Amino acid sequence: MPWFLHLALRQLFPPGKRFPAFATVSILGVGLGVASLLVVQTVMNGFGEEHRLRIRESFGDCQVTGAATLENPEALAKRLAARPEVASAAPYAEGPALARQGDFSGVAQVRGIDPADPDQPARKYVHGGSFDDLDDGRVILGVGLARALRVRIGDRIELWSPAMAERAEKGKAPLPAEFEVSAVILTGFAEVDNAAALIPLRRFRELWNLGPRAHGLTLRLKEPARAAETAARLAAVQPGLRFRPWQDFKRDFLEAIRFEKTMLFFLMFIITLVASFSIGSTLFSAVIRRSREVGVLASLGAARLQVVALFGLQGLLIGALGTALGFALTWTILSCRDGILGVINGCFGDGDMVANVYQFSKVPLYYDASDFVIAAAFTLLTTAIAGLVPALWAAGRRPSEAMRDA
Amino acid sequence: MPDAVLQARGLAKSFASPAGPLPVLTDVSLEVFAGESVSVRGSSGSGKTTLLQQLGGLDRPDAGQVLVREPGGRLVAPHASLGRGVGFVFQNYQLMPELSALENVALAARIAGAPALSADVAARALLAQVGLGARLGHLPAKLSGGECQRVAIARALVNLPSVILADEPTGNLDERTGAEIMDLLLGVVAARGAALVLVTHSREFADRAGRRLVLSGGVLSPA
Repeated sequence: MPWFLHLALRQLFPPGKRFPAFATVSILGVGLGVASLLVVQTVMNGFGEEHRLRIRESFGDCQVTGAATLENPEALAKRLAARPEVASAAPYAEGPALARQGDFSGVAQVRGIDPADPDQPARKYVHGGSFDDLDDGRVILGVGLARALRVRIGDRIELWSPAMAERAEKGKAPLPAEFEVSAVILTGFAEVDNAAALIPLRRFRELWNLGPRAHGLTLRLKEPARAAETAARLAAVQPGLRFRPWQDFKRDFLEAIRFEKTMLFFLMFIITLVASFSIGSTLFSAVIRRSREVGVLASLGAARLQVVALFGLQGLLIGALGTALGFALTWTILSCRDGILGVINGCFGDGDMVANVYQFSKVPLYYDASDFVIAAAFTLLTTAIAGLVPALWAAGRRPSEAMRDA
Repeated sequence: MPDAVLQARGLAKSFASPAGPLPVLTDVSLEVFAGESVSVRGSSGSGKTTLLQQLGGLDRPDAGQVLVREPGGRLVAPHASLGRGVGFVFQNYQLMPELSALENVALAARIAGAPALSADVAARALLAQVGLGARLGHLPAKLSGGECQRVAIARALVNLPSVILADEPTGNLDERTGAEIMDLLLGVVAARGAALVLVTHSREFADRAGRRLVLSGGVLSPA
């Protein structure tokens, strides 16, 4: 170990002191700054990822629509599914309907799906009942809609589709379609949970008078992250059809999340900067206090660069240890996030703020390695600079000044 | 007569003051030979410390030249030979408070480029020689003033310098301890064949040096 590193470690952690004040406070300051930065980033990533996942599961990785309804959607789905970039393709149809049970009613977003599709995303979110029980006489409801209608598994509801209004216009008595609730789903995404009603596509076609047609196809792609490029490629080979990658749905919303994350990074980074400034000023005091030692080191033959390294390394070591502490604090805080959120809700909120405001039932997380690398790099850079400024000042002193002090 | 290990010719140094340049050294010339001890006495403010700074290369003179013979025999400017050709002993010991006695001495050897192991071996041997073989692991705060000065002497000698420059090495010690330190300093320096330039205001200690000089009016003259 070079002597200046050995001495830097000893000056930071003098023997016999378990928690030396300067090192402890500085490392804690940097650690808290890094933790604030990373907690915010990881939660913001979680929100972003959760929204992206919900969007993909709600709309598919890519949606295929035409100028009108698709005439032969099954054949088209088969052709598209044969393409190497497509994992699966399925027709869909969807539309709003009035759902009613006794004196309770609500607006349902009805979606016709293939009950036999093993990749159907709703399977993951079944909260009660069984997805496989879905048939022409049964419906799967979002948990919020089921609650609004006061129904449980096995209860019956009525659906009034717009096609029934057409019947009424023609003077025929509109009869609602009756369904038994076979399952409820809880996606944690309030927009879906409060409105979703899933029925077999065949039954949807009947209720909406669609015949063999469908509103579109949903594609599952092998590389969902590259949906935009894939959509452009597919559009080139299937003129007349519109291929919308999932990134196009709620684009403004996703942009807002990304922008919010970037802004929060810079705001939180100020905390790390403040911690670095405090390191710089404390190191400056330490260097002034040690000016005699700096002169003595020069009298022992220490080169200026070595004196710079001695104090610069102290800043860097604080940065490195503070960053490591920040990583550990981040993990700890995020592990206890539900408890922390409960306390925040209890103190300041009215009910479950995350579910009410952000439409998720839990605080979502997504650990992005690049955030950790960037936070560590920024922190190390600022703490190194904070250490370097007093180090350069110390190294610039004439040894005679120090010897006169001595 | 052996070759001089320290040669100073025509040294002059002045400091800026509101009333204009204040000359401290006007024309100082000095030669010190291996194994020789030289004391420099003078009143407070006479420029003793300034003289040591010029001789040791911690400051540059306004005029004149200083050369130091390195252990290899080469004559170099003292600032290029800090820690190797020249060793310092300060009045306030100036030990690193976070390092043990052993580490303080080894540090000087490490700075001069010695590997950790040989620095450790040399430091142990020197500390044993100055009577601190049993206190190697003690921090300066746990040592008495006399013991700290012994560590400082060992540190000054660890790189086998040609010249030891001692600035009031007994200034902070009581009479008895001061006398012990002087015995030790003169004995160890002589045993190692180095030269000693001792700055002191004590006539008693100055008289123990082989050659006695007085600094007055910026000029060195025999006592």
